[in-house]
Parts: sequence; C-alpha cells; structure tokens
Amino acid sequence: MPLFNLSNVSKPAELNYDVAVIGAGPGGLSTAIYAGRAGLKTMVFEKSTEGGQILLTDMIEDYPGFTSISGNALADNFLSHAKTFGANFANEEIVEVDLESNPKKLKTDLGNEYLAKVVVIATGSNPKKLGVKGENEFMNKGVSYCAVCDGSFFKNKKVIIVGGGDSAVEEGLYMTKIASEVTLIHRRDKLRAQKIAQDRAFKSKMKFIWNTVVTEIGGTKNVEYVMLKNVQTGEITKHETDGVFIYVGLVPNVEIFKKYIKTDENGFVLADEHMETNVKGVYVVGDIRKTPLRQIVTAAADGAIAIIDMTKYFD
Amino acid sequence: MAALLSEEDRKYLVDLFEKELKGEVKILFFGSKKKEECEYCDLTEQILQELAETSNKITVEGHDFDDEETLAKKYNVEMVPAILMLDSNDKDMRIRYYGIPSGYEFSSLIEDVVATSKNGTVELSPDTIKKLEDIKEPLKLQVFVTPTCPYCPKAVLMAHKLAMQSPKITGEMIEANEFPDLSMQYNVSSVPHIIINEGEGEFVGALPEDAFVEQVMNVLKGV
Repeated sequence: MPLFNLSNVSKPAELNYDVAVIGAGPGGLSTAIYAGRAGLKTMVFEKSTEGGQILLTDMIEDYPGFTSISGNALADNFLSHAKTFGANFANEEIVEVDLESNPKKLKTDLGNEYLAKVVVIATGSNPKKLGVKGENEFMNKGVSYCAVCDGSFFKNKKVIIVGGGDSAVEEGLYMTKIASEVTLIHRRDKLRAQKIAQDRAFKSKMKFIWNTVVTEIGGTKNVEYVMLKNVQTGEITKHETDGVFIYVGLVPNVEIFKKYIKTDENGFVLADEHMETNVKGVYVVGDIRKTPLRQIVTAAADGAIAIIDMTKYFD
Repeated sequence: MAALLSEEDRKYLVDLFEKELKGEVKILFFGSKKKEECEYCDLTEQILQELAETSNKITVEGHDFDDEETLAKKYNVEMVPAILMLDSNDKDMRIRYYGIPSGYEFSSLIEDVVATSKNGTVELSPDTIKKLEDIKEPLKLQVFVTPTCPYCPKAVLMAHKLAMQSPKITGEMIEANEFPDLSMQYNVSSVPHIIINEGEGEFVGALPEDAFVEQVMNVLKGV
C-alpha cells in the first residue's frame, strides 16, 4: 500500500441525488463508475475506508487486467475511476433508511438526511463468528477476523487460522510472513480455496490439521490454547496458540434494510436478474446479494447491470 | 531524500487546501535525536515538511522532546514522534498523533488540518454536542491503530472531533507497533482499540458516532 494514503479525506456535502450507493467496495464503486457515465448524480456512502473487503486482502490475482495487485492499490484504482466520472463520496454511516418514500431517505450517523431517487445496497458482509466457547471472551485478546489489521501483534508468535476457503488460505499465507508458526484448522480433508493459493500454502511453512473443528478458545488474560475435535474420530486435543484468526464465512450487512427487503434464510438479499430488489428503485450489488459466487469481478459486474436497468427511472 | 508524497498526491493536496483551508494551521512536531528510541522521527518530520509545502497557510515547527522539556510539558507531550495542531489563535486543538500518521492515518491528518483551519469547527450531531456539554472533568481518548487498518481512521477522527468540540477532551492516535510497551499495557491486539481515561473504559472497533459517544459517556457515568 502507499506509505501515505489519502482515500479517507472527505468533501463538502450536498443532500439531493439521483443515486445513493451504500457501501464503497468493488460493487458500490463499479456502480458509481457506471452511474457517472450514465450522467446520474451519485453519492457513495462509506462508513470506513473506500475499497471494502479487498482492503483486507494482501494480494489480488483474480481480477482481470491485473496479474497481481494489492487490495489497496486496486481499491485506489476503483475509487479514482469513480471520481473521474463524477461520483461524490461521504464518509458517513447510514443508520436508518426509508425505502418506501419518494424520493428515498437515508439518515447518517452525523444526523444528515440525504434524498435519492434510487438506492443501491452495496454494504457487503462481515466475517462470520465461529460460535464457540471463549470466542467472545477472547475477542480482541487474540481472536481476530482481520490479519492485515492485527497481524503485526503476532510477530514471532504462534497463530491458528480457522477455515478452508480463499480468505483463510490467503490470509494464512500473509501470516506466515509475520508469525513464527501458522496452523490452518479445517473441518474437511481438503481446502476450498483456489488451486493456486492451495499450492502456495502447501509449499509455505503453514501446517494443516484436517477434519478438525475448534470447540473452545481458552486462556487466562489472552488466548493461550484452543480445544480441537477430530470430526471423524471424535478425539479431543489441546493446541497451544497465541492468536486465532477466523475465516469461516460471511454475514451480510443487511440489518437496516430488513424491514423493506426480501432476503434468503441467511440474510443475503434477493434480486431479479437486473439486480433490483422487491422494492422498486432499490438495487443490490456485490457480496450482500444472494449469488453463487462472491468475487471482485462479480461484484463489479452487478454494478454495471444495476445501472443499465435503473436508467428506466430517469428517462 | 526523495519526496515521500507522489506528484499526484501533492497536486491533490494543493488543490484541496486551496479550496478548504480557512485560517492558518500551525503543526507542532516533537522528535528526538535518539534514533534508537524514535525510528520514525525523521520520516514523520519529512512528511510534515512536505505537507507544509502544499499550502502557505500551513507551518510546521519542529521541536526536540529531550532538549525542550518545558515546551513538551506545556503541551503534555508524552512520547515521540508526536504531532499536535494549533489554530490561527494559537489554540491547541487537543489532538495528538503519537507515531507516524502513515497508511490510512494520513487521511486523518489531512482532515485534522482542514478542521484546525476552521478553528476546530467539526461536524457532529446535535445530540452529541449536547452530551459533550455535560463533560466537566478532563477526559483522555487514546485510539490505538496500525497503518494498514482500514477501519481505524474513523475511530481516530471521531476521537479528534470530540476533542475539538469539547474543551475537556484530548484525543490521541497511537500507532501501536511503535509503542509496544504501551500497547501491551492495555493488551492491544486488535485495532482500532480505544482506551478511555487511561483504562477506566475501553472498547474495540470503529463504532458509529452515537455508539462511540455512548461508550465514552458510560465511563463518565461509571456504568
């Protein structure tokens, strides 16, 4: 990442827009690029830093056009692309929405009320909790969901990674550069991550414990051990560790929209093939949508489709 | 030494400050000649100098933490590298950066420069402003961060905004990697980690404004 990053600097606010995009990950930023090109007056809301979950990824190698790029640099490219075509940005968190009024109303944590004819939900998802004893107690005391944020606290220490998907393997690889020992614990006998990431993991110093789940996280002040259970033999073992990095799936950030929007049983938002939800003029893009694949390229594609469809509201 | 700011970022800042800066901003930097105790002092001072060159409203004053003890005491500077800001009336904005504001925290520094140029006028909800009026005792907010944490600037800026709004509050950013002992003292292992009044209260995460303020008020109420 650049040594000095300027992406959080805010701009003066104006309250009326054609399109309000909530969330500035790849889905939201791609929406903003297409909205700008469609001549729509657009505001993108981001509660932390523009880029979304790709900022938590050390290296990205599966976005077309970039053989290898850091999550931070790709986010910067998306952001400046959107700004070039006129999108506005506010570092405010949407805390309340009225999606039935016309125009739709969005209230932010600063108390501002924005109006928009069309709303695009691009709030993405958060890491899912493991749901075991000790997880809440030791959260931020060795239990973490963000290797890029917290990895440096585990320099020359022992950590475990829980999960077997892309995030688990890639962030595990990131931790092999910092921690003295990295052990990946997976409930199945093979990884779900992309083949190339698996190959790298097997070549790295990462160790693997297969067919095993974490049943408890324990310690005194900080994490000192996890209890592991082999799902085939039922055998229980104690494994000493200083850190537990959890990558076992995603929970959609859907809370403030639930009153209006239909979701599946896991909270992922349902949309038609044009990305429009059950509420007219409310679209959904990216990780928060019910979709068979959650990648940067699919989130970006969602944004393009949504904008092309919503132009019907501005003719 | 080669410039730290890219030409593109420099132009961006020149343009931004031209539009946004109202009054003068004086940035005080405290460093140390003891390099082994302050790995990032030189780099911090250099980025501030480059920042000052982007607008004639910004000046940077460098000070030595060890030689200028009285001044360091006057501003309650406890460690180095340290950055604080004074507005056009030489009023201390009660914000501190301990450690280099690099990575995502560079944006926080820029936001603070703009707010300082407006004599500490910040955007907060009427609710928050009302609650802050009830604070009668000094209150210290320390926000532990890492430069690679995208959630952290939100917490830093919130602490800094509260400090600019309330004469009782001091808001600090602390780069956790540069102050391992302090980080260990407060058991920081996830960021942003906010310490209230040196341990009377604490929470982790970049909360929205109302929740952040509630955490602070709870400590004052002794909840």
